Amino acid sequence: MLLGFDMSQILQQLVNGLALGSVYALIALGYTMVYGIVRLINFAHGDVFMLGAYYGFFAITRLHIPFILAMPIAMGLAALTGVIIERLAYRPLRQAPRIAALITAIGVSLLIQNLGLKLFESRPRPYPQIMRTIVWDVGGVVFSNTQIVMLGVALLLMVLISLFVYKTKTGKALRAVAFDRDAARLMGIDSDRIILITFALGSALAAAGGVLVGFYYNRITPTMGTMYGLKAFVAAVVGGIGIVPGAMLGGVIMGIAEVFVVAFVSSTLKDAIAFAVLIVVLLVKPAGLLGRAVREKV
Amino acid sequence: MGNRRRGSILTSLAVTAALAVGYGIVSFMAYKSWLSSYHVQILIWVGVNVIMGVSLNLINGFTGQFSLGHAGFMAIGAYTAAYCTKILGLPFAVALIAGGITASAGGLLVGVPTLRLAGDYLAIATLGFGEIIRVAIVNLSVVGGPRGLGGIPAHTTFLWVYCVAVLAVVVVKNIIGSRHGRAFIAIREDETAAETMGIDTIKTKIAAFVIGAFFAGVAGGLYAHKITYIDPGQFDFMKSIESLVIIVLGGMGSITGSVVAAFIVTFLPEVLRPLAEWRMVAYSLMLILIMLYRPKGLMGSAEVSIAGIRSRLGRAFGGFGVGVGAQAACTAAADGSGCGSRSGAGGADVHARAAKLPPAIETQGVCMNFGGLKAVCDLNIQIAKGELTAVIGPNGAGKTTVFNMFTGLSNASVGAVLYNGKNITNRRPSEINVAGIARTFQNIRLFSNMTVLENVMIALNGQHHYSMLESVLRSGRYLQAEEEIRNRALALLAIFKLDNRADEIAGKLPYGDQRRLEIARALATNPHVLLLDEPAAGMNPQETQELMELIKWVHREYDLTVLLIEHDMKLVMNLAQRIIVLDHGVMIADGTPAEVVKNTKVIQAYLGEEAV
Repeated sequence: MLLGFDMSQILQQLVNGLALGSVYALIALGYTMVYGIVRLINFAHGDVFMLGAYYGFFAITRLHIPFILAMPIAMGLAALTGVIIERLAYRPLRQAPRIAALITAIGVSLLIQNLGLKLFESRPRPYPQIMRTIVWDVGGVVFSNTQIVMLGVALLLMVLISLFVYKTKTGKALRAVAFDRDAARLMGIDSDRIILITFALGSALAAAGGVLVGFYYNRITPTMGTMYGLKAFVAAVVGGIGIVPGAMLGGVIMGIAEVFVVAFVSSTLKDAIAFAVLIVVLLVKPAGLLGRAVREKV
Repeated sequence: MGNRRRGSILTSLAVTAALAVGYGIVSFMAYKSWLSSYHVQILIWVGVNVIMGVSLNLINGFTGQFSLGHAGFMAIGAYTAAYCTKILGLPFAVALIAGGITASAGGLLVGVPTLRLAGDYLAIATLGFGEIIRVAIVNLSVVGGPRGLGGIPAHTTFLWVYCVAVLAVVVVKNIIGSRHGRAFIAIREDETAAETMGIDTIKTKIAAFVIGAFFAGVAGGLYAHKITYIDPGQFDFMKSIESLVIIVLGGMGSITGSVVAAFIVTFLPEVLRPLAEWRMVAYSLMLILIMLYRPKGLMGSAEVSIAGIRSRLGRAFGGFGVGVGAQAACTAAADGSGCGSRSGAGGADVHARAAKLPPAIETQGVCMNFGGLKAVCDLNIQIAKGELTAVIGPNGAGKTTVFNMFTGLSNASVGAVLYNGKNITNRRPSEINVAGIARTFQNIRLFSNMTVLENVMIALNGQHHYSMLESVLRSGRYLQAEEEIRNRALALLAIFKLDNRADEIAGKLPYGDQRRLEIARALATNPHVLLLDEPAAGMNPQETQELMELIKWVHREYDLTVLLIEHDMKLVMNLAQRIIVLDHGVMIADGTPAEVVKNTKVIQAYLGEEAV
């Protein structure tokens, strides 16, 4: 299949896939951190990503805030949104059956999406042009300054979040709560606070992803959270859910797989490839690529 | 027996009559124009949702297999049925069945590879399959691809939907009340325990997927022939979510709940119609609020109406049988089926007999590694038929690992495990249990949300056969087999002094009772070899004493080979004919209690070097 295409085309798709994958990775981080800590598939996460894109959009178009500031503002607002969701919708269900929390998450997702349709209008919005696109051609492989910005920002955020999780005291508390919430509480960790921080961080990262998608693809809609969210979640599972580097790896794999399928096979398979990869990975490594299978003790 | 059958026929007649009246009322109201065609249409959607909800409840609520791909099965059914009527010109009924069967095939296709997964991972994999089915249809030009399939004949009437919905409810309800249903629920409660009680969990889970998918497929057929135009977008992830919302809102594992929730989920958006664009916002808000205030759903796992009446009727007729069963308890054991006793040989002169026969169970040089840790190494154990042997050793000595190898829960890395001279090293736990080895667990693994009686009945599943069709129709061998299972279970419970607690929830029993129930459950599988993993753990001296007598009695009366792990040395010394001592995965002593207490290696392992 690939033999009919020259190397530069493959490299080209690799560049495009990396760009898309970095966004998936940013969203996947929120899924994985929240799942790791409260074992909840936070279906509303994709919609927080959408909100982030709109926060950025309104900050730039209505308040005329420069892009470099609009993104942190969007991230901050999304963090606040995430905290509110956790506090109002999820915390009351901490002791309830997990599926109740899952349905609530779906309810929150529907709520945000429908509020979005109502308040932001259902038509796609063109994202404001932030910088003039400059394109470089290196040996047939074309890449643009927007791609570099996108990759750069995503990478920076991933480095920061990794440093936070693995090098700070709060990060250590976060990992402890993820490992055993009750034991962590007995060690004096305020697990409710840690969970709130997790939601805030995850939501902020998703918002960054949202702004980057608007910046790069120039088009946002109130319903875009569903597909991006699902694929990012799949990315988190493929990498090994609950594992921070796994989310990044999964995101990049998803992005590259999607771009390759569209370029070399068929664009109608765009949405199926993520799930095909998912099923294959789960059958070979049920805990995800970086996950460790836990044996049940009998 | 005759009473029961007559009772069951009477209830069926009553239910049928009530259903006919229900249909009569709706059609009369439609005839009188009290119900507009719009109302009838909504009722049709209610019916479709009832079928979707009840069938998903079988997979998710009863069998505990978290599926997020139910819309995929619906899509397969919808497309197949529409293709049958529109393009092949087949009759509607045939088309519906064809839709159901192809969806079942889809269920099989999804079920087989994803069975290794559990919980959220299974959910995500089924979600993936649902999406893949949708994309596959997009790429299928015979059915219109992304443009969809229009001009489907509008065959679906309220009567059709009503009948199929009733059928779905009855089938699922009857399956749940049978040995098949108990197997489904046992898997939800504890898959490992179910497997060691002789339930083929793989087959059972696939059965749940196949039946659930069948009805989803039929629902899809009904849907397609009402809406007359289908496209892949109608069967997306949100459609699966809709079914999930129905079962969670209604209560997982409650059929009544699913029916009630199907009404709510269908009517709510219609009731909210005056809110116009804010409708979906209000809908999602209400969904969140209901979950916040009723996290276990509207019904929990309770059932009402017909189910309640039926069970009351059942109890009225069943009372007689219960009395007899309890009296026939094992003291008489005349008919053999009363407690599954194969008495005769008794415990007399066990060793003389054992000398001539192959060992009941044995390990030949087995090793078991967990990662780098050697749990058991080069172990050779032979347990003669009829022996009562204790395995002791410090924590981490590999005792439970030995049990796991005998019961198929762990497969030896090296060496062989034999039962009656036959190699069982890589057999599945359910096969090993059917062959005759039963066990209890160190950390009690009862089916905690089921009653005491049901726990034992599950273990009897394998010995009373009737087909799923017979359980759906409540006929053939069903009634007699169910009565036998029930009586045998009660007789066993009587032996363990649990018969007065038969209807209590197993998880709520006191600790000692739970341990005894686990032994009763293991015995119900009619084993030749019984493995008890710390049966006295957590018991007080009085209970331990009683347990000791009970084990002795069971060993003799059932002619069993018993192997037990125990830390209570008083119990071990009084009970065991032979003691095997393990330390760090190696056998360090094997002999009579008197020999073992004097063994220096044993003293060293327990008390340390300086104690010798």
